[in-house]
Amino acid sequence: MKLVMAIVRPAKIDDVTAALEKLDLPGLTVTEVRGHGRQKGHTVTYRGAEYDVNLLPKAMIETVVPTELVEPAVAAITAAARTGEVGDGRVFVIPVERSTNIRTGETD
Amino acid sequence: MQNIIAAEDRRRPGALLAAAREQFTAAVERGLGGRAAHARFSDHMDDLIRGLVASSLASSPVNMAVAALGGYGRRALSPHSDVDLLLVFAGDIGSAEEAFLKGVLHPLWDLGLTVGHQVRSLEDALTIEVDNPTFLLSQTDARLLAGSPALFAYVDRRGPSLTGEARERVIEALLRLTTARYDAFDDTIYQLEPDIREAPGGLRDIVAARLLASLAHDPAAIDEDHLEQAENFLLRVRGILHLAARRNSNILSHELQERVAERLHFPGADPTQRVEALMSRYFAHARTVARALETAVAQVTPTPQAPPVAAGTNIELAGGAIRFIDAARASTEPASWLGVFEAALDHGAAVAPETLALMDSRGRRYALADLLPSAEARHRFVQLLRPRRGLYAVLSAMHDCRLLERLITGFGRISGRMIRDFYHKYTVDEHTLLTVRGIERLVTTPAKRPRFAELLAGLRSPEWLVLALLLHDIGKWKDENHAEESARMAQVIFDELALDPEARHDVEFLIVQHLEMSRVTFRRDHSDARVIRQFADLVGTEPRLQMLCLLTLVDIGAVSPGTLTPWKEDLLWEVFVRAYNELTHGYGDSTIAAGEAALAALESGRPPDLAADELSHVLEGFPRRYLTSVEPAQIYRHVRLARDLHPDEVHLLLDRRGDAWELAVFALDKPHLFSNICGTLAFCGMDILRGSAMTSRSGLVLDIFQFVDGEQFFARNADGPARFETLLQDVVAGREDIAARLLRKEKGLLHRRTPVRVAPVIHIDNDQSPTYTVLELVAQDAPGLLHRVSRVVSGHGCEVDLVLISTEGNKAIDVFHLTQSAAKLPRPVSHALEVDLERLLEDAS
Repeated sequence: MKLVMAIVRPAKIDDVTAALEKLDLPGLTVTEVRGHGRQKGHTVTYRGAEYDVNLLPKAMIETVVPTELVEPAVAAITAAARTGEVGDGRVFVIPVERSTNIRTGETD
Repeated sequence: MQNIIAAEDRRRPGALLAAAREQFTAAVERGLGGRAAHARFSDHMDDLIRGLVASSLASSPVNMAVAALGGYGRRALSPHSDVDLLLVFAGDIGSAEEAFLKGVLHPLWDLGLTVGHQVRSLEDALTIEVDNPTFLLSQTDARLLAGSPALFAYVDRRGPSLTGEARERVIEALLRLTTARYDAFDDTIYQLEPDIREAPGGLRDIVAARLLASLAHDPAAIDEDHLEQAENFLLRVRGILHLAARRNSNILSHELQERVAERLHFPGADPTQRVEALMSRYFAHARTVARALETAVAQVTPTPQAPPVAAGTNIELAGGAIRFIDAARASTEPASWLGVFEAALDHGAAVAPETLALMDSRGRRYALADLLPSAEARHRFVQLLRPRRGLYAVLSAMHDCRLLERLITGFGRISGRMIRDFYHKYTVDEHTLLTVRGIERLVTTPAKRPRFAELLAGLRSPEWLVLALLLHDIGKWKDENHAEESARMAQVIFDELALDPEARHDVEFLIVQHLEMSRVTFRRDHSDARVIRQFADLVGTEPRLQMLCLLTLVDIGAVSPGTLTPWKEDLLWEVFVRAYNELTHGYGDSTIAAGEAALAALESGRPPDLAADELSHVLEGFPRRYLTSVEPAQIYRHVRLARDLHPDEVHLLLDRRGDAWELAVFALDKPHLFSNICGTLAFCGMDILRGSAMTSRSGLVLDIFQFVDGEQFFARNADGPARFETLLQDVVAGREDIAARLLRKEKGLLHRRTPVRVAPVIHIDNDQSPTYTVLELVAQDAPGLLHRVSRVVSGHGCEVDLVLISTEGNKAIDVFHLTQSAAKLPRPVSHALEVDLERLLEDAS
């Protein structure tokens, strides 16, 4: 069991969630986050004045998947979130020790 | 209804409770689970508790009183409500009292009841517990169940018996709890899935209204008949909710709305219609309840005693509210009603309930033409929509008395309209009004969203934005294509309000495209320049972009609390800035070309006096934004203006546009042309609001300015426009030196210079456009500023190909697209230009 965590462009939330749903995963979480990668943000000019935007709005999509579905999930996210431009995001795969259903107490 | 429970069951608490619930269920199933059923259930609970008290007393005799509190005290107990009890002992609480308590409470817990028990010695009970407002309030409904009446009399805090400090504390606690409760529900009754107990207009409001009215010693102040009907309805609904959830649940969810509508026999061919009928009734009762509470709060809230102040014809500010002086006269003079709401905004006061009631009851007699009988009245109504403190309250009051649906045809169709989805929390009408509140808050608390507040402050006609907000979802009475339907309905309203063409154009655009910016922001990859270009092309002008951005912001914010996150605001702002830069920096590279669709459309609709190739000859090479920002009829006029143009002459059109003027000037390009036109306007005392200048490939120049006659040159001189034209012709032909004349005038005006509050910003960009160097300038607006800036630009040998001018309050924002010898400015030229402009703006300060 692994936690697949993807940081993607906000506009790609629908595409990524649709791609993951096709894998019939039990659930996922979407969170509004901010951050930067290697580019460390960018500069915006508005009415002649320049502003540094260091932390960019991004979406974090998390899903816990059986180990055998990790590669399909990563592939689905990558395909759905890619534009080919800087800022497409990143996918992380993290081991999960166990998970417990709060309502039923059932533990995997 | 059978109200008899077998004698043997009375002895067994479990059987008694089961039988009581069974009776309640039977009543609810017949749709009769209202006040009477709740009272019967409370009576059975009384029997059960009295039985437990009697048996406990037998083994642990103590001097005590047991009282029902809160809803139970009022005999409004539902099957799964908490059973709130007060147990008071004459002396200290020792082992005998503890044994007694166990004898009463343990069996109740064993039955699975949630018991809210308050145990006090008499000495403690005499203290008013100001830090426990909930308990304090529940005591005002205390009802003796068992034990000593004399002991109970000491702690009896029912409303009418309260005096002095106890009364003040109860009022204070109730107002505090009510405010907190209203805050939690965003201050509105129009919840799509209301909590019928806690939400504004719910059961708690009924209790609060009655208590406050009784504390004010004026129970007649509230409409008890209607309040009783509302209570009965809400209790009937509550009974169904409790039985469905098998717990103390008071949320009338979408799912349960269908069940309640069916159980209460609401009419309708399908579940949706039945639910609409149910919720329509719910909102009507909730409105009654909320109004009753408002009246009761006013009864106990001291208002400064000031003599009445005249606030309009037959209108006064009296007792802290706006009201008619002579109600009988007002009922026959509907044209005076708008004045009530204008006065409410001007004085920062509410409209008196009886005044709203009069308009509600008499309003149906009158048509729009009676309410807004003249062009001046229609103009006043549109002006009333200018964002300011109190606008939401005033529009809500208009809606509550059904005046808004008479002033805006079709608004009534979204009254109480339900939208079933995962994110909307309010009915369509309330969502609409909450968007207006969002705009109002940008005015009243600008520091919370300074970027957006500044956008709003810069709008020349913010009332158009508010009108668009009122209309953007009016088509939601239909299930599909609501934006299209809203736009269709808006046409009728535009005609009725006699809106001017520019306003119609912008408001219609905002209605039709009200979802587009949200789509681009959250669904499209707006880091892609093509996406932004498409969006900017669609929007066309900066004022529209500003309005659409604000509309999108408040539209999201009015969906439900918490929907508009700082993250979403940042994304929206990012799209706004990128589209703004595209509109102001990138538009020059998108020019009108022969054969393109927009031009073909114009050609197909051309008036007969225009030749087939005349349009394309004049317009080719102008920026495309010209086609999106100027009405076709005006374009045809411009094209005629370009006929027979000779060097050193100008052809101009001067039109009155409301409080402003619009000047369109055609000329053949020549040095200092733009500067000379600006100088002539400045010399005549005109304040330029916005404008644009553009040059075609054939060297035709079209400059368009909107300005106000700041020094009343036109107003004071009947021949003002003619004198202006003569002067402009002389200046362009070189017969007059406008720079010299302006300098002389400015010297005379030095004493009028205002302190500089806008720090100047100059930005020269050689990367944004492949064709032009873009100069962006933000500075304190001042007479002749544009003339001076453009002279400096021309002085450096720069050709002014395109200009966008806008003025927001005291801030001038100008964007020049420049070339030199048909190429971008060489770096040394742009640097020298920047230095000179900095010096100019510093000198101006």
